[in-house]
Amino acid sequence: MKIVTLTATLAVLLTTPLFAQTYPERDIDLVVPFDAGGSGDVTSRIIAETANTLLDGAKINVVNRAGGGGVVGQTFVSKAKPDGYTILAMTSSVVTNPQMKGAPYEVSDFRPVALYNLDPEVIAVPQSSPYQTAEEFLAAAKDKKMNVVVAGIATSHHMSGLAIERVTDITFNYIPTKGFGAQVQAIAGGHADAALWPLGEAAGQAGNGGGVRILAIASEERNEAFPDVPTFEEVGIDIPIWATFRGWAVPKGTPDEVVKTLSDLMKSVYDTPEYIEKMDAAGYGAVYRDAEGFSFVVDSYAAQTSVIIEEAGLGQ
Amino acid sequence: MDLILLGFQTLADPMVIAMLLLGVFAGMLVGSIPGINDNIAFAVFIPFSFSMPPEQALALMVGVYCAAATGGAIPAIVIKVPGTASSLLTAEDGNAMARKGAAGRALSIAITSSVVGGVLSSLVLLFFAPSLAKVALKFGYVENFALAILGLSSVVGLLRGNIIKGAIAALIGLLIATIGFSPMTGGARYTFDNVNLIEGIPFVPLLVGLFGIAAMLDLKAELLKSRAENAAPVALPNIGSLKLPRALLRRLAPVWWISALIGNLIGMLPGAGMLMAIFLAYNQAAGRYRRLFAGKPGEPEWGQGAPEGVAAPETANNAVTASSMVPLLSLGIPGNSTSALFIGALALHGMVPGPLLFTQHGNIAWMIIVAFLAANIVLWPVAWLVLRTVSQYVFSIRKEAMVGVIALLCLMGAYSDGGNLFNMWVAVAAGLVAYVMRLANIPLGPAILGLVLGPQLETSLHNSLSISQGSWGVFFNVSEHPISAGMMFVSVLLWILPALLGLRERVRANKGGQKT
Repeated sequence: MKIVTLTATLAVLLTTPLFAQTYPERDIDLVVPFDAGGSGDVTSRIIAETANTLLDGAKINVVNRAGGGGVVGQTFVSKAKPDGYTILAMTSSVVTNPQMKGAPYEVSDFRPVALYNLDPEVIAVPQSSPYQTAEEFLAAAKDKKMNVVVAGIATSHHMSGLAIERVTDITFNYIPTKGFGAQVQAIAGGHADAALWPLGEAAGQAGNGGGVRILAIASEERNEAFPDVPTFEEVGIDIPIWATFRGWAVPKGTPDEVVKTLSDLMKSVYDTPEYIEKMDAAGYGAVYRDAEGFSFVVDSYAAQTSVIIEEAGLGQ
Repeated sequence: MDLILLGFQTLADPMVIAMLLLGVFAGMLVGSIPGINDNIAFAVFIPFSFSMPPEQALALMVGVYCAAATGGAIPAIVIKVPGTASSLLTAEDGNAMARKGAAGRALSIAITSSVVGGVLSSLVLLFFAPSLAKVALKFGYVENFALAILGLSSVVGLLRGNIIKGAIAALIGLLIATIGFSPMTGGARYTFDNVNLIEGIPFVPLLVGLFGIAAMLDLKAELLKSRAENAAPVALPNIGSLKLPRALLRRLAPVWWISALIGNLIGMLPGAGMLMAIFLAYNQAAGRYRRLFAGKPGEPEWGQGAPEGVAAPETANNAVTASSMVPLLSLGIPGNSTSALFIGALALHGMVPGPLLFTQHGNIAWMIIVAFLAANIVLWPVAWLVLRTVSQYVFSIRKEAMVGVIALLCLMGAYSDGGNLFNMWVAVAAGLVAYVMRLANIPLGPAILGLVLGPQLETSLHNSLSISQGSWGVFFNVSEHPISAGMMFVSVLLWILPALLGLRERVRANKGGQKT
């Protein structure tokens, strides 16, 4: 018996470093839990394209497993073999889905690998809106209940509105509207007062010729593309950052070496200038945080949202 | 004008032209195979398009999008199985014509109508896109609700004597549309804790089932019946001559104009889509036909092979294609679920549709626009080629074999939309339900319309009332929401006109009775 245990231990000891050297020895599936053409899919394909020029002898295949608003693909990865050959294109919805949508996994079923995009929340108004600045908007919102477009009740955008309500003495009237196109129609056409949007999508509608104006961005520093738009804190909303994120995650139990290899791969992708260019052109500012940095982002988002979910009674 | 030339220049590249032609050819095939539609074709193609130059990828998509709307008419006419949802209504009069030996004429009407609708729609896109985009912006929650009501009302005219069953069908559609997490409350509805239903029943597999699988069950039942009776199976109609007499062209011209107008208007309004356009156009053409032709010698009853019954929906569905790009290209708002897929294809090449597209990537934006025109023009010769080659072979396959092959294609198509096995079950279940509905003589059209318009109806009603603080008057407020008030008025007319006309006929009949 002892000999068996010893051999097993030895085998593990011997194969572990070997494994690290040989990984990846075959193709890796990057599971996108959404349909082809969505933001998760587009960013994943841009990453895979660059990563495949860096990898030797193996390549990353983007696999779409759509359904259930992402839950189907996310569940699939949570149950996959933790060997580094199945990666999840992870979005912030993984954090809230177990509580809000009854997803059959927990956030802790995943190991964050690397973060590649942070999308801060913005307050946007119609170009024709009487409110030129965030201060004007917030002041007016104290007297009048503003009609604020969000992607749906209990989405991250609705929760960002509830977060604003928590730190100010404002209440909004939420107008749940599915699909970004329909939301743009409502705002650019002046059918609602404001919208809570991710910057990545809002940016394409703001600026020259666009139908919307961005009043404030929920990030710690001003955005390079919008140097004149203040942060939430600057206009008196005490929320340093409210951002949805995109990154890579693997099933829990994946060996440290594999996580390190993948995280380093993402770093090399990030260091490729063409990658940054492509991400910018598609409207997604590229960032990089390693496994630890990404874990921190995931945990802070979980902390931010769990308070809101509990207070507003949003959980299922 | 320079910009339009730039678009032509980009399109004139031999590879781009080749891709456009390939797209039209592929779209025609995709459309003519029941169970596969343009959504599924795009879902499979978009990942490949990543490694292609953007102008080639988009030219191919434009070709597929335009031609699929036409290709759907081929099986609708020949075997009464709509190839795509948008040829649902074509199957009625089209197949009736085919059974009377005029398959070639029906097909020719369908293709010519498609070309007319498509070309007019492309011209609208080419010349009026920016100004029409502003019209789309006038549609807020109130107008969207009125539009959905108008769409649902459009079926009333089609349901003579069958109002109750039609209403039941529409309610079934509306009920199914409520499945999934409600955007208004964030709560689950009828999901039975199945994660696949969080976003509702997946739509593309549902359509595949309702049209493809159900039609296969129907064909199979027909085969079994003819075998049991030991009768020779009904032979497939011979396609025959495609020539259209001049008198018929002149007669169909008004239908083309009106249907193209309806298709263009509906196309550029976000959220309505092809199904609503074909119903409105069909309804309109039915009224006109009953007024002018019905009852005359040599003219069949409506639904029994009237050429207008093919021309109207086929013009309208192609008129939706290019016009649905009006709000997409100028505002980034997709007109329907297929044009929404162009956003993904553009994004893959680092382009964001919307006001910035024309300044940053003018060549691509204008190339897409002129590609619509080109695709609709080459539609005729390509359709002719497909009919004379591929379709001849396909329809010479034994029906028994065809049933199996199409059923298999349906399941594959359902699966490839998102790569989820659950989709195959959805397709099978939807097929069974549609088959049972057919046995019970419950029309499928109103159910589909309810399904498509349900979410829009629900959210726009909720949001209109939320913004108006509960006042129902907004929908009829002529000064603040004139568009909504107008559409509501037309909807009411659609409901009461058939009743009024029926009453008048009865009164007239009574008077006639008294005189004798």
